[in-house]
Order: sequence, then structure tokens, then C-alpha cells
Amino acid sequence: MLGRGVKRKWSCLEELEAEAAPAAVTEEKQQQQQQRAEGEEDGGEDEGGLPAAPPKSETSHLQQRQLVLGLCLEKLQHYQAGVELSLRRSVLLVNTLRQIQEDMRSDGPGTCVHPDSCLLRGDLRRDMPVTCPGCAEGVGGHLPLSSPPEFPPQEADGSHDPQKSLPAAAAATATATATISAFSDAVNAMGYLGDLALDDIFEDIDTSMYETSDLPSAWPTGSPWPVGVSLWADEDVKLRAAGHGSSSGSLQSCLLDLNELDHIMEILVQS
Amino acid sequence: MAGPGGDMQWCFSQVKGAIDDDVAEADIISTVEFNHTGELLATGDKGGRVVIFQQEIENKNLPQFRSEYNVYSTFQSHEPEFDYLKSLEIEEKINKIRWLPQKNAAQFLLSTNDKTIKLWKISERDKRPEGYNLKEEDGRYKDPNTITALRVPVLIPMDLMVEASPRRVFANAHTYHINSISVNSDNETYLSADDLRVNLWNLEITDRSFNIVDIKPANMEELTEVITAAEFHPHQCNTFVYSSSKGTIRLCDMRASALCDKHSKLFEEPEDPSNRSFFSEIISSISDVKFSHNGRYMMTRDYLSVKIWDLNMENRPVETYQVHEYLRSKLCSLYENDCIFDKFECCWNGNDSVVMTGSYNNFFRMFDRGHRRDVTLEASRENSKPMQVLKPRKVCAGGKRKKDEISVDSLDFNKKILHTAWHPQDNIIAVATTNNLYIFQDKVN
Repeated sequence: MLGRGVKRKWSCLEELEAEAAPAAVTEEKQQQQQQRAEGEEDGGEDEGGLPAAPPKSETSHLQQRQLVLGLCLEKLQHYQAGVELSLRRSVLLVNTLRQIQEDMRSDGPGTCVHPDSCLLRGDLRRDMPVTCPGCAEGVGGHLPLSSPPEFPPQEADGSHDPQKSLPAAAAATATATATISAFSDAVNAMGYLGDLALDDIFEDIDTSMYETSDLPSAWPTGSPWPVGVSLWADEDVKLRAAGHGSSSGSLQSCLLDLNELDHIMEILVQS
Repeated sequence: MAGPGGDMQWCFSQVKGAIDDDVAEADIISTVEFNHTGELLATGDKGGRVVIFQQEIENKNLPQFRSEYNVYSTFQSHEPEFDYLKSLEIEEKINKIRWLPQKNAAQFLLSTNDKTIKLWKISERDKRPEGYNLKEEDGRYKDPNTITALRVPVLIPMDLMVEASPRRVFANAHTYHINSISVNSDNETYLSADDLRVNLWNLEITDRSFNIVDIKPANMEELTEVITAAEFHPHQCNTFVYSSSKGTIRLCDMRASALCDKHSKLFEEPEDPSNRSFFSEIISSISDVKFSHNGRYMMTRDYLSVKIWDLNMENRPVETYQVHEYLRSKLCSLYENDCIFDKFECCWNGNDSVVMTGSYNNFFRMFDRGHRRDVTLEASRENSKPMQVLKPRKVCAGGKRKKDEISVDSLDFNKKILHTAWHPQDNIIAVATTNNLYIFQDKVN
């Protein structure tokens, strides 16, 4: 069973603070804790209140970046059926995402980055390799965009290495982006299975609902993101040609398709 | 104790709305607007209703009880709709109300939800005709042949009846969500703005509108900026401004071209590099823009501040007021709970000397431009005794919390004041909490 997104709780913010390097326990933080103890009448966090901000340091900058990245993706994924997404909100979220990407890019190759950030690179710069050069630390060579260890052993093409070298903070945000990871896994799996006769596998599965022109063509090229998917619908064009279906639809239909691809993958790897 | 505007002190006057804490979603107030004389105060809510209050002009010899606002008219402006093509609901929530200047006995206002603008006529009826001799007792029309005399009906007084009727419906012109409407000073046209476009309408014509701004990119994937608010200049009927999610304001002149994609002026303040964070863009997004009454300045509201711009200077605002700077260190948490996307409005007082905007914990802030003073006040049921003077509130950002101060971590972020309005002439303000409308007035010494 491939992982799903997990709702982030307040405790995760505090976890991040706890995992911060010992140097991060500064006088400032101690002061803040003192003030909170003095200032709060209830002794606990009020409904609608806020936890203390993490102290500023290089580590916490990376942690905050990871946190914001995870939240961003979570917010973009979350939608209510039947309610239209706010375009302003979506645009601001995507711009934040892009800014985080730029920030990660400017870190340079030495830094170990989360595979989901590589996914984002692939999203906006399709000429960049799908692999994650920054994850070479301690492993050597390239790591493909792979899942947490529960990915089934069938993908034994040799290039799939467990991510032991990732920092704990990065792993903490992995579950928040599991749906997108799952999709990229599907991509890699299909890459491996690509030389098999696809028809044989899909023989007994009715895929008439999932037939789109763009998705299958994107997979062999290794792009993790279907060509032509926009995060928001071009709403002026109300009528779409048959066959373009989900790939040029809204975020909602894109995510629905991701869920359906999950389902296909489950069937594939279990058979 | 002196406050903004010299020795002015604010007192509680009235509160409208349900008392219980369990807020019905439909009762959430979504817009507040005084008319041009201040006699009428309109509110719109999430349930699509408009409630208009009218000021009862009390005896002027009793200064302490100047005037009360009582319900004048209530009507259902918008109903929920369903877009079958996209399988999406169109909310009936009233996003904005704007009054038209009064031309005759009736009052007119524009109200809008996400997609449709409506022109409503509010008229009074206090007389009815009586004395027709055309009907029988039971209501059947008499046979004309039996009528031998002509009786002219007489108008007799009746209880005041206020009727609201929709006179125009301006529909199907917006693909995206309407965020602003603004009536032009020519009293013939008005603009409506959604996330990507601004349209110009004639008040009389509903089947046509002119698109005057279009920032939609050819490829939607290149979209990085949306329109957040728009307003006509109060005196120059050819000039309007629109603000963006990137913190810029563009002033456009409709005489220059039919499509005002090229701005006449671009107002933007360079970012302070020391304040740069992942949230910089989100907090720079402008949630409201309002011209001053004299037309020389405009005010913008972003997440943390209010800025006053001189229309003749584009590179920076002339005044900047911090609304709740103590939230700057909490942006990550506010991002998590979505509060960072809240859209606060702002308003000017009648002579442009004081500006007001809302904050969290049911606090609202006033900035006196002339005296360089500011005050934080609270709208709450606890301070709701008649003519009770509002005590200034203070938020403790860090360090030792003094008595009567409230610490940042104790603020209730579910209690937000997004909508405020100031009477066009007097010192009377309307402040909307989630589902209550508070009316405060200054204490006459």
C-alpha cells in the first residue's frame, strides 16, 4: 500500500524545534519559553494561538524551508469537492513553491535535498535530469526519484537505493507529499516495465476511463510531471476535445487522476 | 486621554447580530458600507442577504444620544447557483456593496457575489391610494355598465414600507471571482474586477460590458500575479487603480486606450532585504485599495501594514503604518493555519485625517495621520454598555508583559475584523466582527 498524505499537526512544528541542532537552543528560545510561561494565563496553547517561532540559524532555515515546502504542497493538494479554488491563493502558493525551489537551487550541489524538491525541479525545468545529484552523499552515483522503502521489490533495476542519508527533517516532510511521490514512483516503475508488452499487463483492466493522449507519452521520457497539466484550469476554454481529458483539466481532476494511477500501480505491482 | 483626532474618545453605541457564540455560517458579515450621506449603512453576509440600517436623527439637543441605526430593509440579494459546466457551486456570499449617489427619492446600491452584480432600488412607500369604486366587496371587478360615477382615489398615509427591487442584473461577464466594484464619478458607469480582468459597465446596460484590463497570460501556466482590488478615482472619471497580489498598484487612464493594459503609473515600494522570507510575497499581496476623499492620495492594505501613497509619487508610499508588526515572527504559523491569506480592508475618515483597519482578536486600529498617533481598540460584548468608552488595547510582542497587555500567543486568530467603515461626515464607525456589527461614535465632550 503506497503512502498517503498525512495531516500535519501542531506537534510536528514542535518536533522540528526539538530536532534542531544543539546550537539552536539559544538564549532567545529560553527567553521565549519564559515569556510564554509568564504571559499565558491558561498554561497551554489557546485555541487560535501560535507556537513559538523556531530560532534563526542555518539549520532552522533549511528546516523552515522544508516545512514551508511541505505545507505548500499539502495546501495545493487539498481541495473540497464542488468548491472552486481561490485563484489568488493558488497563485501565491505556487509562487512560494517556486521561491523555495530557487532557494534550493542556490544551495549548490553539495547539499542533500529532498527528492520531492527534485520533483519540483522536474516540474519547472523539464530539461533537468530527474535524478537528484544532491542525494549522492554517502551513496555515490545517482538516486532515482524513489519512494520510502515500502515500494515493492519488483523494481530491482539496481539503481534504487534506500535514502539512508537524508536528514530526519526531510523524512518528516516525506509523508506530506506522498501522493506526488507515489506518482513519480509510478513513472519509474513504468520506465522499468516499459520494455514489456504493455498490452499483456493491461489485458484484463478496463482503461477506457484513463485513456489520455498525454500521460503515456510523458512516461518513457522520464518526465515526472504529465505534459500540459496546469495547476489551474484555463477556465475560459470550457469545451475541450475528447481525449485531452484530465491532462489539461483543473488541479482537482489532476489529483483525481493521480489517485487513479495509484490504483493502477497497486494492481500492477501486486500481480 | 487623547486619542486620534485630538481629544476624541470612542464609545460603544450599538451592536447588531446574534449574541450566541455559535455562529451560523450564513450570518458571517462579508461587507459593510455607508451611503454618501451616512444616513444608511448596508451590510452583506455569506448567506447572500443585504441588511440596511437607517440612522434615526435624534433631537440635536441631546448630544449624548446622537443617533441610532435601526433596521430599514432586509432582502435576499443573491442566491446560491450551480455552474453545471464545471460542477461547481457559485457562492451567494456578498463580496461588495457600493451605493450610488442619490438622484431622487429612491436609493440605489450595487451588490455583487463572485459572478453577478445586481442593482437594487430601495424605495419607501408611506401612502396608499384608497377610494376606488371599481371592485366589489369581495374583490371581483364590477361590471363597467353598473358604474355611474367617477371616483378619484385619495392617497392616505400608511405604515412605512421599504421595498427593495432588483432593477438590473449584470451577469456572465466574469470568468473569475469578482473582488471589487466601484461606481464612477460620472454616475453613469461602474467597474467590476475579478482575478484577471476589469470590466466597465454602463448602469443602464446589462447585456454588454467593456473589458478595460486583462492580465491573463496566453499560457495559464505563466500566471504569477492576480488582481486583488480596483477603484475609480473619486473625481476624475477617466482614472482608476487596481492592485495586485505582488504588492503593486497600477493607475490607468481610460483616455489613453480602450484596453488599459499599459498603466499610466506603477506604484511599488522596493522590498526591504532584511525582511525577506518565504512569505514576503504573500504578505505583500494588497487586500484593499481606497482613494482618499480629496482624491490626492490612495491607501493600500497588505498583510502587516497600511500604506498611504501620494498619486504623484510612484516609488514609495508617503506614510506606512504597522498594523500588527508582532505577527512578523509568526508568519510560518499563520501560513500553516491559513490566516496569512486573510484579506483586511481599510477606510478613511471624512476629512482624510485618520485611517482605520482591522486585525485579529477583534482588535481594530486607527492611525491619525496629522498627530502621528495610533490606537488599538476592541469590539467585544464585554465592552458593550451604552456609551461605554473604549479602552485602548496593547499587544505585548516580547519581554515582560505589563498589566492589561495581551501577549501575542493569547490572541484569538479566529476573531478577525476584516470589514470596517467610517461615516462620510461624522465620527461614527461600523466595525464587523464575524457575525456582529458594532457601531461606535466619538464621545462629545
